[in-house]
Amino acid sequence: MVVDPLILIGAVAVGGVLIGGGVHFIPVGGAPAAIATATGVGTGTAMLAAGGGMTGLITAAAATTSPLWLVILAGGAGSALMLGITMLVGNWVYIWGVGCVPSSAKVTHDPITKYEQSKFVTPGTEGHGIPTVCFVSGIIGGLLSGFGGALAYYFLYYSLIATPGYAIPSGAYVSLGAATLAGTFALGLFFVNSVIASYNIGGTIEGFHDPKFARLPRAALACIIASAIVGALGVLLVQGGSF
Amino acid sequence: MSENGRGPNSVDKRKPLALGIVGGLIGIYLTPINPIIGPLLAALGAVCGIVWGADAIARVASYGLGTGVPSIGYMSLAFSLVGALSGLSVAVYLGTSYTWIGPVLGVVLAMIVGAIVAGLGLTVLKMKIPILMRCTIELAGAASISVLGFSAAIAGSYAMPNILHSVIIPGYIALFFILNTMAIQHPFNACLGPNENRTRTLKLAFSTAFIAMAITGVIAMPFSSAWYVIAIVGAIGWFVSITSFIQASKDEAALVKWTGWWPHEEGEDFDKEVKEIKEA
Repeated sequence: MVVDPLILIGAVAVGGVLIGGGVHFIPVGGAPAAIATATGVGTGTAMLAAGGGMTGLITAAAATTSPLWLVILAGGAGSALMLGITMLVGNWVYIWGVGCVPSSAKVTHDPITKYEQSKFVTPGTEGHGIPTVCFVSGIIGGLLSGFGGALAYYFLYYSLIATPGYAIPSGAYVSLGAATLAGTFALGLFFVNSVIASYNIGGTIEGFHDPKFARLPRAALACIIASAIVGALGVLLVQGGSF
Repeated sequence: MSENGRGPNSVDKRKPLALGIVGGLIGIYLTPINPIIGPLLAALGAVCGIVWGADAIARVASYGLGTGVPSIGYMSLAFSLVGALSGLSVAVYLGTSYTWIGPVLGVVLAMIVGAIVAGLGLTVLKMKIPILMRCTIELAGAASISVLGFSAAIAGSYAMPNILHSVIIPGYIALFFILNTMAIQHPFNACLGPNENRTRTLKLAFSTAFIAMAITGVIAMPFSSAWYVIAIVGAIGWFVSITSFIQASKDEAALVKWTGWWPHEEGEDFDKEVKEIKEA
């Protein structure tokens, strides 16, 4: 398969928007959530991108020789699974360790379960733990980001193996150099877009029910420009295989 | 905190900048001179880059990005790593007589992407950090020099085919991504606060840079005959710098030790503590 450079840039730009948009769905609580005074996972987007992104890329890379749709699904499944585990284990700590009820101060009733929230929010906090709506939102975010990372990985991998420097060695199924470089590139894309999204939301967000979610178009614009530039660097990377 | 996020206890921002650009690029370009000394100089160049990056991140993160100190470090390393490798790749495309252009082109490409991302932050995302542009560009340069330096130290050359064989295929490139981010973002993340002294922060930056260099030396074992030199020099540098950092921390903690903590209660305890301090 020969990948046109413009298709590579387009795939990376779309992947970047999916990652940046996906971050807006993930309940990122930051430092306040780490001390159970805000809803969400108690860490920043960079760490969640590292966890979800790396797992998604490992599952996507495991499906390298499969068709595009399977690679993308594998990436999404890996990221969503990792974020799901992170939120579940985080919730165990909040419920049985800290001893608080998962609740959000941003909405009066959980949009999915319709459970009342305000009664359970500790006065002086922004909520705590990961209520159902945040968990569902986080799974959607993980799926979207995983799709984006896998898309970028797939197209860069196939661009690279078309060059003599990264060609698949005879007797092997995958080119190790191309897979490593495409994986690191896609991981870089995860970090760039998750941090841009993080700047947009001021470090914390609860999910699609959060008022900050309305800022999504602004981040999508920034992500598509930044990712297209990174995609152009990807085209230059492919030139490095011509030896 | 005064203008540009610099308090009274800060160093001249031109010094780390000069150290990073000049020291870093000289180290990388001297890699091919000798199979032992060359890789050592490349690794020391990466150390210079990391110290420069630690100073740049300290200046920008003094403003409070809202996302923590590490996030901008990860972002810079991400596009700098891609930019640095793209620079080397363009040199391959231009032909073997243009190999020398690779590292400097990599640093420039990384800085351009840094400028664009910072510009997006300031215009589209409407961030209100006046030095974001300058510091992101500096961080991009520092991060790309650190990646190129350690890669050249392992490969013994800054040409893309060698780096592909001994850094990318074994997967060390992913390690450098995280290792260099840690080395660049940790010093300020550990030292930030109202009483931050930039000289002390940079002492910690030297120690994280040298320990990263020592790790680079150890993982260079299968590919470089200079691995033990890099590892030993890195370990010695780490010991000297961490000792100096601990001494600086103790010296500054003396302020607390001499005056004591705030009194538990007004009255007897306070008088007793003052008396103890006077006697000591």
